[in-house]
Amino acid sequence: MKNESLTVVENKTIAAKTHEMTLSGPLVDAIDQPGTFLHVAVPGEDLVLRRPISIAAVNQGAGTCAIVYKEEGDGTERLARCRAGDQLEVLGPLGNQGFPVEEPLPGDDVLLIGGGVGVPPLYFATCELVKRGVSVSVILGFQTAAAVFYARAFNELPGCDVHVMTDDGSNGRAGTVIDALNERPYAPDWLFSCGPRGMLRAIETNAADSKTHGYVSLEERMGCGIGACFACVCETNDGASYRKICRDGPVFAFKEVVL
Amino acid sequence: METDPRLYVTLPGLPMKNPVMPASGCFAFGREYAELFDLEELGAVAIKGTTGEARIGNPTPRVAETPSGMLNAIGLQNPGAQAVRDEELPFLANYDVPVLANVSGSTPEEYVVVVQTLNDAPNVGAFELNISCPNVKEGGIQFGTDPDAAAALTEAVKRVSTKPVYVKLSPNVTDVTAIARAVEAAGANGLTLINTLLGMRIDAGTGKPVLANEKGGLSGPAVKPIALRMIHDVRQGTKLPIIGMGGVQSAEDVIEFLVAGADVVAVGTANFSNPFVCPTIIRELPEWLDKLDVAHIGALRWQGEKI
Repeated sequence: MKNESLTVVENKTIAAKTHEMTLSGPLVDAIDQPGTFLHVAVPGEDLVLRRPISIAAVNQGAGTCAIVYKEEGDGTERLARCRAGDQLEVLGPLGNQGFPVEEPLPGDDVLLIGGGVGVPPLYFATCELVKRGVSVSVILGFQTAAAVFYARAFNELPGCDVHVMTDDGSNGRAGTVIDALNERPYAPDWLFSCGPRGMLRAIETNAADSKTHGYVSLEERMGCGIGACFACVCETNDGASYRKICRDGPVFAFKEVVL
Repeated sequence: METDPRLYVTLPGLPMKNPVMPASGCFAFGREYAELFDLEELGAVAIKGTTGEARIGNPTPRVAETPSGMLNAIGLQNPGAQAVRDEELPFLANYDVPVLANVSGSTPEEYVVVVQTLNDAPNVGAFELNISCPNVKEGGIQFGTDPDAAAALTEAVKRVSTKPVYVKLSPNVTDVTAIARAVEAAGANGLTLINTLLGMRIDAGTGKPVLANEKGGLSGPAVKPIALRMIHDVRQGTKLPIIGMGGVQSAEDVIEFLVAGADVVAVGTANFSNPFVCPTIIRELPEWLDKLDVAHIGALRWQGEKI
């Protein structure tokens, strides 16, 4: 965990209200696990909370990483206005539990399901999996064609089978990621997912009782991002304890926590 | 870090090498921040509010941003007094830094139990009675809004405490000085103020409150003018030492709080925007003393002519 000023290398719109920001700085050296995130201070002193943003890709050779965020409020609007050369205070990489990309073996059936801005950490995970020679299937869900991003990037990865679903059928097929999941004839060996909580709940319900090693990446409003403020907690499935999403996650195994 | 002797301030139970500590609830029990900097740089550490039994806290979302501030409704999540004594305080004992143990409860008996449990922890320098948590129904605010109840609770705790007792006052009252006087008469050794102001945000898109708890405690720079005013008011009505807080995020803010009447300050929300804010402020304070040409930080404190 480091806190550094990172330099904005590029900040571009990749879909409706969705932006990809490339950052450079020594902190990038420490990024090695898909699913971890950066806690980004937003320009302007009136916004007191940092924004937790998952890491979409890392290029250690170039010393850069990419984050993807949706413009939803004051903070992300300010991030969207950042230009190449601007500096951003960044704490990270945060999270002690990412996607276990080192575990699937070549030949395993690996499925990744992403919804909306839940897609980026799965891209990072897919890059690491294909680097190890693991073939993956990816289901990407968006509301409509204008919201779709990274579909081509996934397609360009070797051994990556991509299915795009949109609610209105304006890109890929009409339906939800759950529809696509349920069309599969058998349960995958591994299932990594990130997206809205309702989507994750449905995925766990549909796949939890199989042989599948399933993992979900959770989002929550955060305070400190390092486990000190107890803002982003979730209950364990046995109801006996809790986990901090920022510190103990953000990726959890199926049934580890209440979704 | 070399300590500037001009920054030493000794409060009851808290010999501080500088006047800056993280505020309770913003620093957990120090483990996370210890990964980022040496806790011995701090003047003291105020630990998270501790209750008799473990509490799981409120549903999420527990935080919401506001203009120049934030709302929180954590709900006093903590592992309970025994776990704090056995598992958390020994970690902090690895550092030469006094601990201010924040004590919360639903009944006077619960406060007494927490104090009795933590009394023998050698690194606890003093207790801070949280009579002002706005985020749970039984978080003590019933004691913080009534002078008689605040005094009775202070007396009950003073009877069992082997350490000095500070009382953390709520700003959610009409006359904070009346509560301060009441707890001073009841034997309090110091005051902490302010706790958060009860607030609310609503998501215009859904028409629903942003926080699961609906209401939460407002903190951050937005509350600083209120904190300064209340500290200034209380300074004029009591001789007790004051740990001031409410939107502190810079060395300049520390000066403002001292001039308003605080003896030392605690930093809360700013730890979230900048986890290094406390050591940064501490490093900058000597320059301010040079600039103001004072021989010791204590000379800045407003002395309170009306006392």
